[in-house]
Amino acid sequence: TAGVKIFHFGACRVPMSMTEIRAGFTAIKANIQSRDPIRTLSILSHPHSLHKVKSSDRCCITYQLFTFYVDKVFKHCRTEDSFVNRKISSIANSFLSTRRKLGQCREQNNCMCGEESTEKFKQILANYEGLNVTSAAMKSLGELDILLDWME
Amino acid sequence: GDALLPAPQSISILSTNMKHFLTWSPVIVQGATVRYSVEFQGEYEREYANGSWIPISECSLTTATICNLTEDISASVAYKLRVRAELGATRSPWGTTKGFFNRAMTSLTPPQLRAVADGHHLLVELADMGPSFQFRVLYWRKGQESRVQQKVLKEVSSVVHLDTMEAGAEYCVKAQTHVQAINRSSSFSPTQCVRAQGDPSMWL
Repeated sequence: TAGVKIFHFGACRVPMSMTEIRAGFTAIKANIQSRDPIRTLSILSHPHSLHKVKSSDRCCITYQLFTFYVDKVFKHCRTEDSFVNRKISSIANSFLSTRRKLGQCREQNNCMCGEESTEKFKQILANYEGLNVTSAAMKSLGELDILLDWME
Repeated sequence: GDALLPAPQSISILSTNMKHFLTWSPVIVQGATVRYSVEFQGEYEREYANGSWIPISECSLTTATICNLTEDISASVAYKLRVRAELGATRSPWGTTKGFFNRAMTSLTPPQLRAVADGHHLLVELADMGPSFQFRVLYWRKGQESRVQQKVLKEVSSVVHLDTMEAGAEYCVKAQTHVQAINRSSSFSPTQCVRAQGDPSMWL
């Protein structure tokens, strides 16, 4: 079915329409990645992979990453291609909906921000700010499957 | 030149079983073919992208007065829709939906099912309703309503085996749909009962 995945953060349950988001991303991935000329750099994985984040920090960094994409990334990814714009809108609105539920978790203190996730997120922001905003946004969007794979 | 063409009226969203359509009344201009263009705006566009609108290409310069929104309304947030009329270079003002639409508001109808007695086997046929749908099937032996059994089907194959029936006994089935993405279920379908082949006395 349009798989809704339930992510558990402590006592918190966050349902996310993972299949729909992945389908939207897959439909535009090649187009987005073709707009990213700097293939040697990574926003999410440099210098360390997300997989190195401790499980206790998962909730916090997931919330930070969703906030990063909602606040900084999607708005700078508008293209001349209507189909791509529609899929980006679909992903952005799904991220907004999921971020709201993550925020509720955060308020219930189920999201402890440890030193490691704080450091990791600082690194991601530094990678992002190291590029001009459109390139950084397109690269971040092109790496969405890295985030989705790590979440799953 | 825009003011000559009135905005489309009676704009509404019809949403059933996670299929969403925008409809409006035609703008009548004698002897001319009026076309329409539709745009949508999700909560993200309102809150984070300066209230921008996104055109739906399949419903740009269309002569139809209906537009399929299903592909674009794909998140559980509040959306707004708008449509305008176009005649040559002339464009009407936008007509915008009153209030917001969230896909959680879709109306869910009971599934279409057919209970089948195949010899001693109780089968059920369910109509496929698309990837968003799961099915909860309840079945019981008639007269033993307190011993209802349940099967949850996450993917629909055309025929599902529910149980092996006792000869000559009657069994009943009903089902409802469930949509995880909006965490809602339909009402139950009408109950259907079928009788197993064979003579009940054979079992005495």
